[in-house]
Amino acid sequence: MRSVLLNEITKTWSFTGFRVIMILHFALFFLVVLVASTMDIAVPGFSTRNLYQFPNIWEYFPWVASWFNLLLAILIIVMTGNEYSFRTFRQHVVDGFSRSQLLSGKAFLILMIGIYSLLMVLLFTLVFGFIFSSDYSDGAFINKSYILLVYFVQAIAYMSAGFFLAVLFRNTALAIILFILYRLIIEPVIRLIFPPEARLYFPMKSISNLTPLPEFLSIFSGNQQGTDAADSLSFREMGLLAEDLPVLVNLVLALGYTCIFISLAYLLLRKRNL
Amino acid sequence: MEKVLEISNLSKNYGRITAVKDLTLDVGPGHVFGILGPNGSGKTTTLSIITGIIAADTGSYRWFGQETHAGIRKNIGSMIEVPNFYPYLNLIRNLNIVARIKGKDLSDIDRVLKLVNLWDRRKSRFDTLSLGMKQRLALSAVLLGEPSVLVLDEPANGLDPEGIAEVREIILREREKQKTIIMASHILDEVEKVCTHVAVLKNGESISQGRVHELLTADDPVIVLCEEAGRLKDEIVRAGLSESIEMKDNELVIVLSKGKSARDINEFAFSKGIVLDHLETRKKSLESKFLELVK
Repeated sequence: MRSVLLNEITKTWSFTGFRVIMILHFALFFLVVLVASTMDIAVPGFSTRNLYQFPNIWEYFPWVASWFNLLLAILIIVMTGNEYSFRTFRQHVVDGFSRSQLLSGKAFLILMIGIYSLLMVLLFTLVFGFIFSSDYSDGAFINKSYILLVYFVQAIAYMSAGFFLAVLFRNTALAIILFILYRLIIEPVIRLIFPPEARLYFPMKSISNLTPLPEFLSIFSGNQQGTDAADSLSFREMGLLAEDLPVLVNLVLALGYTCIFISLAYLLLRKRNL
Repeated sequence: MEKVLEISNLSKNYGRITAVKDLTLDVGPGHVFGILGPNGSGKTTTLSIITGIIAADTGSYRWFGQETHAGIRKNIGSMIEVPNFYPYLNLIRNLNIVARIKGKDLSDIDRVLKLVNLWDRRKSRFDTLSLGMKQRLALSAVLLGEPSVLVLDEPANGLDPEGIAEVREIILREREKQKTIIMASHILDEVEKVCTHVAVLKNGESISQGRVHELLTADDPVIVLCEEAGRLKDEIVRAGLSESIEMKDNELVIVLSKGKSARDINEFAFSKGIVLDHLETRKKSLESKFLELVK
């Protein structure tokens, strides 16, 4: 197992494309949260700065970070596609790796990138949270921090989907195009055929629903969920957003889809000639 | 003596195309086994199956008498088709990856790079190497950790004459270490110089196999020059000494029956009172043998 991990680190870290995408991911997230933090729209009773305060920031930053999960999925597609275009998956098997070791290498990479993105969001959440918050009481600080772990599962799920498509098509460009098309067009169109309650169970829908759009109106107004005032300003109460499944159900669905993606990729690796 | 590789009734089809058909062959320890055949004869498919990257449809193969698993491949140095490395990594890092997969000591990398004359380029990226250098790097990866078996698919592919000679020298050096080498090649001269055994494939089937020496001498023609060529021809045919016999002026080209030699012809002519002016066995090259077989 040690050789699998060391090899994955060697080939990943030395790949310029990896560094470029990781820097891009970091810089884009940082820029968005930084620029948004400087633009305070404050009218009596409302302030966008509330987004940067504990506990709202636990909801807001993972939601912003989720926009860039596409980059992480593309990164995994590129790294897996490389193995096919350089024919190194094939060479690794010739040299003595089993198919499951090929899978372990990429699963390790997905996990590492997931941990990196988790730590990145955690770091920015803490830094911005402490800068903009005045209430450091235990409840406010920890409340909603679990969303960060939910975001971690989401990032892993997207990358697993990317990995599966890269193994399926064995072509980087095709896999990236189809991933984007599926995410943005194909699945949303297919979902329309199904009744509204069934649409929530589709892979991309349930994975993206892990970090739902924060309740901006109630956050801006400074009201916390659970109060009558907050409820009256809820997007959902106003019929602006569809009902989501509970987070736990989405979490189980996302983990389930992750297992399916990884298992299908393993099946393809086993059954197909390299 | 335990066989290094046993292939039994191996078949592989790609749709309607038969790549390998009912192939059976054995490779013993210390053999340098050449697999010959025209393009599309199934050489690379056969090597791909025995190195685990392609699954056979039917039949089986065993390395060292065991069912194949990834662990066995760690002790077999294999190079299938083109050299496969990460283009953006330097030679040392590429070989680090191979050594870790094979579970070999990283310190052996220096030795193999020196062996293939790439030590000076060890910090160069793979994609900056010439084709010949890439091929030599692939050979160095094959030799990592001194495996007892080498599987080489067209090892001299794309090399210039100097490169071919270098590769041949490396293979001969490995042969001297009593290693078992299985190699597919188009360069018949190379096979003839290097291999002890050979199998000729055509349309996925083995049409001939055995020791290179036996294969080459199996039906070498005997050339006879004499004044009484016509009488000698009739006598030889009557005595059943030949498979075939052709006469042109005073020259006879005789393909002898099994077990007969040029010496037998000499004694036979003498016993019949025929004086021979010239007698020689014309050695066929592997190339002409190969062309005859695959026609």
